[in-house]
Amino acid sequence: MNVIRGFATTLKYLFQQPATIQYPDEERPPRERYKGRHALKRYDNGLEKCIGCSLCAAACPADAIWVEAAENTDEERYSPGERYAKTYEINMLRCIFCGYCEDACPTEAIVLEHEHRLSFTNRRDAIYTKAELLDPPPAGLEGTPRQTEPGVYTRSIPEMKNPA
Amino acid sequence: MTTTVTIHIDGVPYAVPDGMNLVDAARIYAGVEIPIFCYHPKMKPVGMCRMCLVDLGFEVRDRATGELALNPDGTPQVRWGRKLETGCTTTVRAGMYVRTRTEQVQEARRDVLEFLLSSHPLDCPVCDKGGECPLQNLTMRHGPGTSRMAYDDKLHLDKHVPLGDLIYLDRERCIQCARCVRFQDEVVGDDVLAFHERGRRLQIITTSTPGFDTYFSGNTTDICPVGALTTADFRFGARPWELTNVPSISPHGPVGENIALSMRLDRDSGGVQVIKRVIPRQNEDVNEIWISDKTRFGHHFTLSPDRLREALARKRGELTPVALDDALKAAAKALKEAGNSVGFIGGPMTSNEDFFALRELAAHVGSRKLGLWPATLGDAAPAAEVGIASGSRLTELGKGDAVLVVASDLEEEAPIWFLQAKQAADRGAALIVANLRETKLDRYASRTVRYGLGGAVGFLDGAASDETLAQAANLVVFVGNEGLGADEHGVLLRAAANLLITTGHAGRRNNGLIPVWPGANTQGGFDLGFESAATRAMLQSAPDVLIVVGADVAETPAGAAALDAAKFVIALSLFPDATTAKADVVLPIQSFAERDGTFTNAMRRVQRFYTAQGPVGESLPAWQVIGLLGQRLGMDRPRRSAALVMKALAESVKLYAGMSYPALAEAAVQTPPIGISPGFYGGTAAAPTGGTGLQWPSKAESRAKLSVTPVEAPQAVHAGAGELVIVPLRRLYDRAPEFFASAVMHGRIPQPFVALHPSDAARLGAVDGGRVKLSAGGASLDVTAVVDATAPEGLALLPQRLAPGAFPQEPVAGRVEPVAEAVAAD
Ligand code: SF4
Ligand code: SF4
Ligand code: SF4
Ligand code: FES
Repeated sequence: MNVIRGFATTLKYLFQQPATIQYPDEERPPRERYKGRHALKRYDNGLEKCIGCSLCAAACPADAIWVEAAENTDEERYSPGERYAKTYEINMLRCIFCGYCEDACPTEAIVLEHEHRLSFTNRRDAIYTKAELLDPPPAGLEGTPRQTEPGVYTRSIPEMKNPA
Repeated sequence: MTTTVTIHIDGVPYAVPDGMNLVDAARIYAGVEIPIFCYHPKMKPVGMCRMCLVDLGFEVRDRATGELALNPDGTPQVRWGRKLETGCTTTVRAGMYVRTRTEQVQEARRDVLEFLLSSHPLDCPVCDKGGECPLQNLTMRHGPGTSRMAYDDKLHLDKHVPLGDLIYLDRERCIQCARCVRFQDEVVGDDVLAFHERGRRLQIITTSTPGFDTYFSGNTTDICPVGALTTADFRFGARPWELTNVPSISPHGPVGENIALSMRLDRDSGGVQVIKRVIPRQNEDVNEIWISDKTRFGHHFTLSPDRLREALARKRGELTPVALDDALKAAAKALKEAGNSVGFIGGPMTSNEDFFALRELAAHVGSRKLGLWPATLGDAAPAAEVGIASGSRLTELGKGDAVLVVASDLEEEAPIWFLQAKQAADRGAALIVANLRETKLDRYASRTVRYGLGGAVGFLDGAASDETLAQAANLVVFVGNEGLGADEHGVLLRAAANLLITTGHAGRRNNGLIPVWPGANTQGGFDLGFESAATRAMLQSAPDVLIVVGADVAETPAGAAALDAAKFVIALSLFPDATTAKADVVLPIQSFAERDGTFTNAMRRVQRFYTAQGPVGESLPAWQVIGLLGQRLGMDRPRRSAALVMKALAESVKLYAGMSYPALAEAAVQTPPIGISPGFYGGTAAAPTGGTGLQWPSKAESRAKLSVTPVEAPQAVHAGAGELVIVPLRRLYDRAPEFFASAVMHGRIPQPFVALHPSDAARLGAVDGGRVKLSAGGASLDVTAVVDATAPEGLALLPQRLAPGAFPQEPVAGRVEPVAEAVAAD
């Protein structure tokens, strides 16, 4: 009896759509909260959000992030305020895609995006540099560094909300 | 002797010294932290921030009988104050009760923090202090969590105000604790920082022109309890938690400031460890928690691109890079041919291990020519006899004591001792400053003595009859060599010893002689048998082979001539300089940051420094290079580590007996414990890990019979007709490569100049700011004339190591002639 029930199940699935998809010919959109490769974000005006504070590196359980900071000037501005990330690197071989860095970031500069196709042929390539991580400036806007008007971008932390 | 009283803190009785500051007493004796911002144990309390509020009460005594009034349950009655009081302005006394944990106290702390943060920008992520910030820490521990203040009401002030070339102020972050203001005023005595405006707009300004530029400015960034003050050098260099602090000793000057090198990997430097900043390491016997700006910012030479990276040897007249082995081979060959006609000269940053290796090599080749650079120092024996007694603390000098400073500009030569002498005077010690010119210390002196050229010995010889000195409870004598020839310097040291012996001060704690040596390890050189006099003899008649370690011998004409006269010169050096240019073999050595070693400061304290960064190029520690050379001459292989060299040293040099590396690594307890993590007192001073060093006792301490040796001043230099006596001065900021590599300091290093008295200038036709040519002893320098009414008549005061070119380092008669201004080019 049980034998027949087993064969019946097999027979039933024979006529159903298979769950497997033929990656990479076919791709399924990742979930909204999927944590893939990081991107360094920019403000709408094209300035970098990252202020080189190293909090992401401090939060990272895998010690995958390396940040070195330097000082902005109005002649050569990367981000609002005084400080920007001169060096920003993430070692994707170490990263465990936990997203703690995203949580730690005070300016929402580092975001784990949906890109998951990470492959390298040597260890050095696994270290993503700032140039690779940084989003391009919004269309039509100048990138960074750029010259800015003195006295405009004096603060690095976005305005905080009043307590309710 | 202070008496001990019993006080109750949070219901527990503690025995504490009477009259001690309550905050310190609670911290040290009870382990109770009363939170503070403005109070700092090195400065007077001002009660500005109100963070330290506590509930204070006293036991009640019956007026008639004096009996303790008791509660029905038998406990003593306590009358509590109606309001909270600031702990930092309270001194403990018998019968005191303190509550630090009541709801009222906690509410007070919350409120103080809420107010302090009402205009604070909260930009910790970009703040250099973030991570080691007292405001952050105390807010987390005692703060309100949320604020009732509207963010829009925050007052915005300037965030990037340069107070000088080196210090930046962020006015928003300042919590108006006045630590920086008080440091400049009380500790340094140069009140160039001040408050401006009132209320919420209260802000720090500097009243000095040009800028905030004392030799101690960096210390304000350490003690600032927030990130309002930052240094131009470190700004955004790293977050504090990313730094590894390696204990070290300042290679600049005779004080031996205890420091920690904050290290981090650096991408721009090729991913190696680099010094990101230098912070003080607490050692109450040496530098307390202060360091000079030279020590703080003068570390860049360690990674200078100019450093020697490979061995050089002369081939067909040209110095050419060669393999280390080949260079050693050439050097060994020359040494073999020279027999015992070999001379050794060690410079100011040469460590004890290096000196010891040189000594062993000298013994092996049978030479006794052990020389110390500079060649201008007298015999150091008096310092070994009556040098300041072990365990002495300049910070303990005060009323009834006397400090005598002779022939030294302490601010320029040993800035930390300047602070300590000045503060001793503030506490009531008699400070007598004797020199041939006005120096900054004169301002704080109870008496200044001005003598003419050659008059120092005469003054000091007669000083025993001086009441203040003879009757002082404690007497410390600083002796420098400004305006002195080498022999005169030796005689002056002897005269100082005589003074200490006749007045009965020798050999007692907090008494004795402190020679203001030029180098970080000049004392160590003397201890290991190296003599400045031996160098002078070698300059007179050069040996066949000269081995020069970290000394720019060619900076004097006599030195340059000796290098020419020697058949073969082996130079071990950090940098290519005039000396290596004359050498036949040049071997690169490591700086203090790249190796282990010990320096002996001028108070005879042997202190350890540790390896912080990797070697530069092929450089090796000097002791190892010397050992490899010795090996080629048939000695044993060089020892495997600096620790083994020190072990051998301690076994063969009696003064250093027992000074092994483990012994030197022991840290004495520091009170108050300022430099401990997480820094209760707030401030960036490191704990005394790595050791506070050991002092060897002077002869006077061992109760040896000391006798007075009559002294006679040698003939002073006389200027002929139309000549002036050119007196070299040591200046803190000079152009030696060990300092000039710090580009951040360039704005503070003066152009080469000579100071002339107005009447001399007028007579010679030199104008202020015009160029003059100095010539003496066959050498000449082209410098700017500065007409200075404080310069003594007949003398030309020449700061050393500013102008390029060799020039005598002792007072010499010479000519000063105005140079016709070249066509106004630049
Ligand atoms: S996702 Fe996690 S492991 Fe990866 S870099 Fe961020 S914090 Fe580190
Ligand atoms: S990504 Fe965010 S957390 Fe990381 S350094 Fe930049 S600003 Fe700081
Ligand atoms: S700058 Fe720093 S040390 Fe000076 S008053 Fe402000 S908070 Fe205090
Ligand atoms: S008022 Fe006591 S620490 Fe500031």
